[in-house]
Amino acid sequence: MISFVLRRLASAVPTLFIVVTISFFLMRFAPGGPFNLERPLPPSTMENLMRTYHLDQPLWRQYGIYLSNAVTGDFGPSYIYHDNNVAQLIGKGLPYSMELGFYALILAVVGGVIAGTIAALRQNSFLDFAIMSVSTIGVTVPNFVVGPVLTLIFAIMLSWLPAGGWGDGSFRFLILPMIALALPQLAVFARLTRGSMIEALNTDHIRTAKAYGLPSRTVVVTHAMRGALLPVVSYLAPCAAALLTGSAVVETIFTIPGVGRYFVLGAINRDYTLVMGTVVLIAIFVIVFNLLVDILYGLLDPRVRHD
Amino acid sequence: MTEMKDSILAVRGLTVDFSTPDGRVEAVKGIGLDVRTGETLAVVGESGSGKSQTMMGIMGLLAKNGTVTGSARYRGQELVGLPPKALNGVRGSKITMIFQEPMTSLDPLYPIGRQISEPIVHHRGGTFKQAKKRVLELLELVGIPEPARRIDSYPHELSGGQRQRVMIAMALANEPDILIADEPTTALDVTIQAQILDLLKSLQRRFGMAIVLITHDLGIVKHFADRVAVMRRGEVVEEGRTTEIFERPKADYTKMLLAAEPSGRKAPPARGAPIILEGRDVAVEYAIGKGLFGGSSSAFRAVDGVNLRLRQGQTIGIVGESGSGKSTLGRALLRLLPSSGYYRFGTTDISGFDRGAMRPLRRELQLVFQDPYGSLSPRLTVGEIITEGLYVHEPELSRAERDRRAIAALKEVGLDPASRNRYPHEFSGGQRQRIAIARAVILKPKVVILDEPTSALDRSVQGQVIELLRDLQEKHGLSYIFISHDLSVVKAMSDYVIVMKNGRIVEEGETDAIFEAPRESYTKTLMGAAFNV
Repeated sequence: MISFVLRRLASAVPTLFIVVTISFFLMRFAPGGPFNLERPLPPSTMENLMRTYHLDQPLWRQYGIYLSNAVTGDFGPSYIYHDNNVAQLIGKGLPYSMELGFYALILAVVGGVIAGTIAALRQNSFLDFAIMSVSTIGVTVPNFVVGPVLTLIFAIMLSWLPAGGWGDGSFRFLILPMIALALPQLAVFARLTRGSMIEALNTDHIRTAKAYGLPSRTVVVTHAMRGALLPVVSYLAPCAAALLTGSAVVETIFTIPGVGRYFVLGAINRDYTLVMGTVVLIAIFVIVFNLLVDILYGLLDPRVRHD
Repeated sequence: MTEMKDSILAVRGLTVDFSTPDGRVEAVKGIGLDVRTGETLAVVGESGSGKSQTMMGIMGLLAKNGTVTGSARYRGQELVGLPPKALNGVRGSKITMIFQEPMTSLDPLYPIGRQISEPIVHHRGGTFKQAKKRVLELLELVGIPEPARRIDSYPHELSGGQRQRVMIAMALANEPDILIADEPTTALDVTIQAQILDLLKSLQRRFGMAIVLITHDLGIVKHFADRVAVMRRGEVVEEGRTTEIFERPKADYTKMLLAAEPSGRKAPPARGAPIILEGRDVAVEYAIGKGLFGGSSSAFRAVDGVNLRLRQGQTIGIVGESGSGKSTLGRALLRLLPSSGYYRFGTTDISGFDRGAMRPLRRELQLVFQDPYGSLSPRLTVGEIITEGLYVHEPELSRAERDRRAIAALKEVGLDPASRNRYPHEFSGGQRQRIAIARAVILKPKVVILDEPTSALDRSVQGQVIELLRDLQEKHGLSYIFISHDLSVVKAMSDYVIVMKNGRIVEEGETDAIFEAPRESYTKTLMGAAFNV
């Protein structure tokens, strides 16, 4: 098990290197640059800026500088947010995004699994139909629609919840963005669970469990659910990485000071270092969660051994 | 029918219906049966006879679209229509079941000890810890070696026979009155089958439970059952004592079933018939490797130094249990997998031939598989399936000519030529196997390797397929390698038999010699384990 984890972590290094390399060059080949503003800067200022940020150097040198700094944890200065470097920006925003993402993840998994299980147990009933219709809506309606609608109903019309901001960090502020963030994922979990649960309920060993008079609760929860959760667990890794690293749309709508915005803003402004920082962050989250999920998978399914 | 004396399970007017998109299907049509204390009742029938659905209906285990009506009284208590909660008091304690597939019948995610404890804890109360002692006793009882260690094993860590023993342990846990065994040994090798049946018999003597044995295998019935009920198309056509049924069958269907045991012999080829396919020192190795970073890899020899000579017009039967390497040998002879050794087809040395070099020879070396469901593409019509080989080997054929050949091939295997525009799922198992045979013979091959071609078929259908294969052989001078675990079929098909175990030949010789006077103890064990009618 330990050697499995170490091997996986070792293989994360080349993965990260490839991610960094590809995104570095992709970013640079995109037209424009961080200082190409609507009103052009005077040539002397431009030159100054280029020199300060090593942008006057050949591309491979810049790449070398970036890599050697990144290894030490220095992801460079942000070109747009002058007061902070990239590590500080991410360090400040990440706790907000992670807290929100964590609640959204719990809501998505718990809600999705319960809804999917109910739908599977009542296959082709009205309830099944209703749950699946709602989940289709959850997947298809984008959260820039869900967010404002939630705000309109619960913040403006009913005045139950705040419309946005982090406030004092109390849970009240989190509810609406959490729902907006979780809904599409909840719908995916519901569909996944329903499908694998229906399959699990038709297996021979479920027939055995029934033939031995086990109560339906035991049959469903102990035997069917555990097998049915395996595909659900596989989806957990990309989903957790996506939710915990913040969402540009949800954070913008609810004015939450997370890191989700940086990816979009960085890309629009050609803030090379900021984009690179968020790419590395997301890559690390994906790698770590994939590893965690594989370990979890091994615990759930004895046929998959990590040794 | 009146209540029979000491009947503990009285089934009267039981029907099972399934609602399907094509309308209602009556799987069981108002049957009556009695199970008496301590007896073994065999319910015999071919696939689709309703023998399993009868028991599933009684036990409340039908698929969602199934409904059961009528009556099934267990010691006076009506089971049909009982709410699940009340039914749960009976199933798993008074009436227990074991199934055909011991692998899939156990939950792959829990240790076997825990699975055996579940019915104990549920029906008798207590904790899993308290049940452990009983589980160890049961594992001992069903002959699992080292129960204390095995109790924490997962199903995938056990062999097929051991898994079925675990199921039996689970079935005995609450000392049932009736044990329903639904094709309990169909998925097992013959020697394992004999062990499992012996175990059931000795446990029955010890605990006195009644056994309802659902099976298609008359050999097992004859050796195992006290009484027999023969089912066909949802009805019981005949019922009686085993000896009576076998000696004086009344119903035509029973007579047909008894006569459906493969019979006849194949005459050996003419002396000096040329050798058509030869393999010398055939060996196939599989690497049991570890991952990218880890550990040394070892090799497993699936076939280990086998010599084989197939003469024109000959049928060599290869017999062996699962894992003996018999199928692998067949594929190695056709050069379908990497193997070492010397190979000759006709007069051509094909030892070093790669895929490209083999391709022109493929039409003469054909293969028919066991599973007539899996080996036919579900998205092609029968005509497309059987003519596919012609596109490769005779691409110049006109469309009309191809169609003529397809018609001829289908006629040859006894299928309606009009069926060539239909899809495989519209055919029965036996018909599908005929399609697979047509696909091979349309190319006019010299050698056909038949890998368990009849194992998935009902006995009566099996007999027809064997007839067909023998006819085709005679007509076209085909040479067969016939791979099977089923001794009676091999006996009827081959003139030479090779017995394999662990990748090696244990014994070989003329069919009669092998069957009448086997020399090796393994061959004797195999023969002894196969029940003949």
